Amino acid sequence: MAKTKQKKDTAPRQVAMVFDLNKCIGCQTCSVACKTLWTNEDSTDYQWWCTVNTQPGRGHPRDYEAMGGGYRDGVPQPGRLPARREWGGGWDFNYDEVLYGGKGNSTFLQHVGDEPEWGPNWDEDQGAGEYPNAYYFYLPRLCNHCTKPACVDACPRDAMYKRSEDGIVLRDETRCRGYQFCAEACPYKKVYFNFLRNVSQQCIMCFPRVEQNVAPACARQCPGRAVWFGMLDDAEGPVSQLVNKWKVALPLHPEYGTDANIFYIPPVGPARLHEDHSFDEETPRIPREYLESLFGPKVNAALDTLTTEMAKTKNGRKSKLMDTLIAYWWKDMFKPYDRDPAEIKWK
Amino acid sequence: MVSGRNKRSAKQKQIDHANEDAYRQQWRWDKVVWGSHCIDCYPGNCPMHVYMKDGKIRHEEAAGAFPIIEQGVPDMNPMGCQKGVAWRELLDAKERLRYPLKRVGKRGEGKWERISWDQALTEVADAVLDGIEEIGPESIVHVGGASASTWGLFGRGRFATHVGSLQLDMNAEITDFAPGHYMTYGFFDPVSSIDDWFHSELIFIWFANPANTRIPHQHYITEARYKGAEVVTVAPDFSPSAIHADHYVGVEPGTDAAFALGMAHVVVEEGLYKKRFVQEQTDLPLLVRRDTRTYLRQSEMEEGGSEEQFYLYDAKKRRIVEAPRASLKLGRVDPALEGAFRARLKDGSSVRLTTVFALARERLRDYTPEKASAICGVSADVIRELGRKVAKKRTNIICSLSNAGKFYHGDLIERSELLLLALTGNWGRKGTGVRAWTGGFFDGSGLVQAKTEPNQDARQLVAMNNMMVQNLKDADPSLTDELAAIEFSKQMSTLGIGPMLFYPPAFFWYYHCGFDDIWAKEDWHDPSMKRPFKEYWQEAADKNWWQGVDKPTKEQEPRVLIECGGNMLRRTRGGQNLFLKTLWPKLRMVVTIDPRMSTTALYSDIVLPASQQYEKIAFGIPSSHTMNLTFSDKILEPPGEAKDEWFIFRGISEKMEQQAKRRGLTEYVDAKGTSYQLEGLYDRMVAQGSLVDTEKIADEMVRDTTIAGALPEGTSLATLREKGYERWTGQGVAPRAIAQASDVKPDETFTPLRNHVEKKEPYATLTRRAQFLIDHPWFLEAGEELPCHKDPPPMGGDYPLKLTSGHNRWSIHALNIVNKMMLQTHRGVPNVMLSPKDAGERGILDGKQVKVYNDLGESVLEAKITEAVRPGQVVIYNGWEPYQFLNWSDPSNIEPGMVKWLHLAGGYGHLRYWLMEWQPCPVDRATKVEIEAWNGSASPRGKRRGRNGVKP
Repeated sequence: MAKTKQKKDTAPRQVAMVFDLNKCIGCQTCSVACKTLWTNEDSTDYQWWCTVNTQPGRGHPRDYEAMGGGYRDGVPQPGRLPARREWGGGWDFNYDEVLYGGKGNSTFLQHVGDEPEWGPNWDEDQGAGEYPNAYYFYLPRLCNHCTKPACVDACPRDAMYKRSEDGIVLRDETRCRGYQFCAEACPYKKVYFNFLRNVSQQCIMCFPRVEQNVAPACARQCPGRAVWFGMLDDAEGPVSQLVNKWKVALPLHPEYGTDANIFYIPPVGPARLHEDHSFDEETPRIPREYLESLFGPKVNAALDTLTTEMAKTKNGRKSKLMDTLIAYWWKDMFKPYDRDPAEIKWK
Repeated sequence: MVSGRNKRSAKQKQIDHANEDAYRQQWRWDKVVWGSHCIDCYPGNCPMHVYMKDGKIRHEEAAGAFPIIEQGVPDMNPMGCQKGVAWRELLDAKERLRYPLKRVGKRGEGKWERISWDQALTEVADAVLDGIEEIGPESIVHVGGASASTWGLFGRGRFATHVGSLQLDMNAEITDFAPGHYMTYGFFDPVSSIDDWFHSELIFIWFANPANTRIPHQHYITEARYKGAEVVTVAPDFSPSAIHADHYVGVEPGTDAAFALGMAHVVVEEGLYKKRFVQEQTDLPLLVRRDTRTYLRQSEMEEGGSEEQFYLYDAKKRRIVEAPRASLKLGRVDPALEGAFRARLKDGSSVRLTTVFALARERLRDYTPEKASAICGVSADVIRELGRKVAKKRTNIICSLSNAGKFYHGDLIERSELLLLALTGNWGRKGTGVRAWTGGFFDGSGLVQAKTEPNQDARQLVAMNNMMVQNLKDADPSLTDELAAIEFSKQMSTLGIGPMLFYPPAFFWYYHCGFDDIWAKEDWHDPSMKRPFKEYWQEAADKNWWQGVDKPTKEQEPRVLIECGGNMLRRTRGGQNLFLKTLWPKLRMVVTIDPRMSTTALYSDIVLPASQQYEKIAFGIPSSHTMNLTFSDKILEPPGEAKDEWFIFRGISEKMEQQAKRRGLTEYVDAKGTSYQLEGLYDRMVAQGSLVDTEKIADEMVRDTTIAGALPEGTSLATLREKGYERWTGQGVAPRAIAQASDVKPDETFTPLRNHVEKKEPYATLTRRAQFLIDHPWFLEAGEELPCHKDPPPMGGDYPLKLTSGHNRWSIHALNIVNKMMLQTHRGVPNVMLSPKDAGERGILDGKQVKVYNDLGESVLEAKITEAVRPGQVVIYNGWEPYQFLNWSDPSNIEPGMVKWLHLAGGYGHLRYWLMEWQPCPVDRATKVEIEAWNGSASPRGKRRGRNGVKP
């Protein structure tokens, strides 16, 4: 564990994303769009730089929130490496045996090797609460490209860096020796390990796309239109509006002290039901304490703003916030990173 | 130690840059092509860009190419889903078929021999000829869904036309018919465009789970909510589509009619109904006899009077008047909605009359909010509150695809929903109405299908069609274009003429697949079925209610089954246990045409590898949902020897001609007496060589669609190759599109039924109005002449739990379900979701194997325990391949696929078959099951599948 003190230097500009958890339907398009672009090889089979998990749930890797890392009061906190079985995934199946093995229905399709005990999306749709007041929602997660990246600080090889032009956190894989201090230090456990190449890997925020003014694949491919992408200092852009002006988009686990740059609009959820199954408009279905445990105390103000603005349109009035969240024109969600990649002609 | 890029040396920055370049190089391509996924991902139609490098697919990405249609309504972009962005994973997957295979072991054993196309097609052709010689062309049966899309439908359609084989109506096979919509509207499938949802003020997600099934379209619901719409999800389970609603209404499975009728009660008793809409659009003001609960008909009033002329009571002039049939326009008539009237019949007797509205109101007394609540479990307060809102909100909608028809009494549920919407004037305006699936618009596919001569001009065919429709209008001037088009379609079905002949599969199942025994189980039917099922079946046959479409007959035993575009051993209720026992022994040959190895393929004798998306030109399933024809280009050659379905079907016909010559067989007749010549069969299939090249045929389909008026002038394959899609400009000539009864406008969302509401055009029903009273004798006998609630019968036996289903999010039907990448996005094995209460009572732990069973069969799968499931309910999403289960016994083996006897009814106005419409469909929802911990050894390797074994 690298014990260096947190560094102050940050990138002058910072890209950020906002995920609207009221629009996310857990379809996994973001994670698959990422997978097909960057981690679709044997050496990266279990890597899902972007994952979507049902909350409440144990997340991916399993119980990552209890693995430490990050900072408290600027002091790095000890973290541990997730075990391979806690990630799960990267499975193969006995296709040949079932389809061509001549065994008929004496065999059936199943995982090859050890029975898995976890995977990228293991506790899907399970959630918590008690019927009819069950509750759950979906939480997409990728590298937070933190303003204070614990991974960068932890790297003894100086292989990691944060780009000045956009704040994207990258790793020089030629310098990386696979010590995985970065993975230990990351409190979000979004650093994976390439066992074949002996290097760590993580989300690169699709920087080759961003450099061409094309939004990252997870954002641009989101069919739920739940993701905004842009520079945090672009005051007129929707990302800044949602994060800084309306303050409805919050980082996950702010207490981890890394100043994450992926922001979430917390879920409002349907009304609870009273014991007689009539609507209870007062008590939130998703307990506030639970949302506070994820997004910190600011989640209360964010939800108040959201519900106030939602009430406006329900009563026939206008709301600029609602207009932004509706996203009347899809491309506006990424401006100026709204270029159609199909238009690019490579030399 | 230093960190942060700013402190890095110039030399180090160069190294960084080199490192970054490795990633930059990964995101490069040399070609971008339009692709889509033209399978039965209804309504799908997502234009994608496929990025190629060095002749290989690098990645796929949503094109995001749609413009804004209506000002103030969000665009449809980007469209797509996790399956779509990884479609290429299917192209070279382990389950992919590459070569023609012939079974060498027992059926289902999975022992194969690779054979040549020549041998494969010859063997299939011989089997087809054997069947024809022994029994007739009706012994050759085509099953399959729409997943073979363009070439599968074209190929098997032409094959059936020229060979005389039988295509089964897939809408019954997939149980996507909405009988209650049909009874009310005379067609089952009013469909708005998805952006029309944005106009709604109150959205019910009801019998739908769009978060799973409508991934590219769901954003219109969340965005409508932000715009101020109230979203209410009605479902037994707290589904993925409930989590973003304003309100969740948990109902006991199959009791939704009570909930809807409870709301209708509130609307009527509080006087909130829209009087003019009800008077004008519905049968509610029609006069009914008190003694018989049947409509007062002209035939009862005067000699030679019509059976189809009905009456209103004009409250202004205080007299009985004939209800207009050619139009809904009331003029100065003010039809009474209630009252007691008398009429003198032609025999001199006097009868007491009232209105349908009055009868409905009397019936609604059984559904006060309190009484309805006791049935469906929704609080009376909620029923009241929502009932008032439905009446008050300018518009409301039951969005997505309704799956109510998959319940035994789904017809009653749908009729109850529609009654609520009718009372509140909630259809035919933007953001209102109910939904099903629909097709139509892409007329070129049908027109080219019908061509018999080279380069035949589609104008001829369109003119011929229009002439037939005009003839009907001339014979009955009260027919509108819509009604005449539907009538024409019905007549073609009955007469067995035309290129689009399909047969309701009920007869195939009943006579040849063992369903006669299953449907005879009286305990699994509703107690109001007064006589044995077989008697109703016999009566329907004796009265010729299904004349012309009741094939195959008992004598026409199937000999060859050709599955193309579907997976019947997975999807057909009743399960493969039943089919393998009853149907398979009769079949001399089972052929599956598919890009991948399905369970049906595993039980086939010959497996023919079909090309995938991107390996052939294809068009998305046309629909008013997305209002676009979506194009998918041929980018790659298929792997191995896979071929498009048109190659396969015409290949079989070519070999049939060749083998027939060897047998000395020149001609045969079908049971109708139609003669089929074998010489020249291939030439007729390909219209003398003009229909061979798929590129040319596709272009012809597109150009013919412009001739039919559904695409803009000048649209061709070349323009689609440029743009990727084209928006419909008109309804074209297909009855299904015309029945939407709305004009297509370039700058407006699409809302069906506007012609009825705005232009007062009549409906395609017996009464020419949206019809809530079905006074067919069977319906009267069952007490279902008007909407009501009935509990789901104990299908499957007397067991405590109700099994519900629905589509999973990981696969389109079973097309993606065994794909390695998709299997990583969940636990990778089939599961059953149940409540902690039910699990606890049975000692079941999460992640452990359980057995779900009833009198019909059993299925072993993994338990997933969640509070999201209602106690008493168990959920098994469908789409798993049977070969993912122990003994390949998937849940279709516990779903008996009962058919409601009333759906055999005919001889009554609109209760008559036409393509995809009125016919008996098997149901599965609320099947009764028990579930228990399963301790056997699931794995052939002797390993027990048991995981964490704790409640999450």
